[in-house]
Amino acid sequence: MEAVDGVNAEVARIFAAKEQRRQDLARLPFPEKVRAVMKLQEMAATILQARGKHVRPWRIVEDASDASATKS
Amino acid sequence: MERDGVFTRYAIAGAMAATFYVEPLLTFDLDVFVVLPQAPGGLLTLAPLYDALRARGYSEQENECIRIEGVPVQFLPAYNALLEEALKEAQEIMYEDVPARVLRSEHLLAICLQTGRSKDRERVRILREQAKLDQNFLADVLRRHQLEDKWKLWTE
Repeated sequence: MEAVDGVNAEVARIFAAKEQRRQDLARLPFPEKVRAVMKLQEMAATILQARGKHVRPWRIVEDASDASATKS
Repeated sequence: MERDGVFTRYAIAGAMAATFYVEPLLTFDLDVFVVLPQAPGGLLTLAPLYDALRARGYSEQENECIRIEGVPVQFLPAYNALLEEALKEAQEIMYEDVPARVLRSEHLLAICLQTGRSKDRERVRILREQAKLDQNFLADVLRRHQLEDKWKLWTE
């Protein structure tokens, strides 16, 4: 991670951990990423709808056996 | 629909395609590029595609999207040489038990450069940081589609 001027070691460690988490998320299986996108949509929809923007989070119906198979 | 000849090839593009290679990116629609069969008179129209979707029970439209199984899907015809090449070389993946086709990361990056919006610039940054890019393949794509200058401008 790049050094940031004026940031103490503790904050630098937090930034490094955040970057590591993004790299870990990038390596998730695609179906898990899709589920993460749907969670992001739920979070963003609340904010966007409060600003008067109409958005609808996805509603993908998953087969229960398929869903459990991908969570191993 | 590809088998039925409604379009000759399709692939997932945009934020969901990028999400295949990088961290999950927020999006509310699914972009799908299609190569359409030649229509009489050479017209490029999505009308037969929308007709085929309606026949399958998908008629709910919002903005430019069709809602399919809970997901708003935006179909876009491949309108230039870069998109045609990207579709031709898109890769097959499995989503759960369903086969799907996704654009290569190098083509996604080139399309971002060509499109050139601020969110494309951000996506180029994320793809560079997180996706495994074949640098030789990317260099060829950028050269073939005259995107080398833009690449330098955005990355130097």
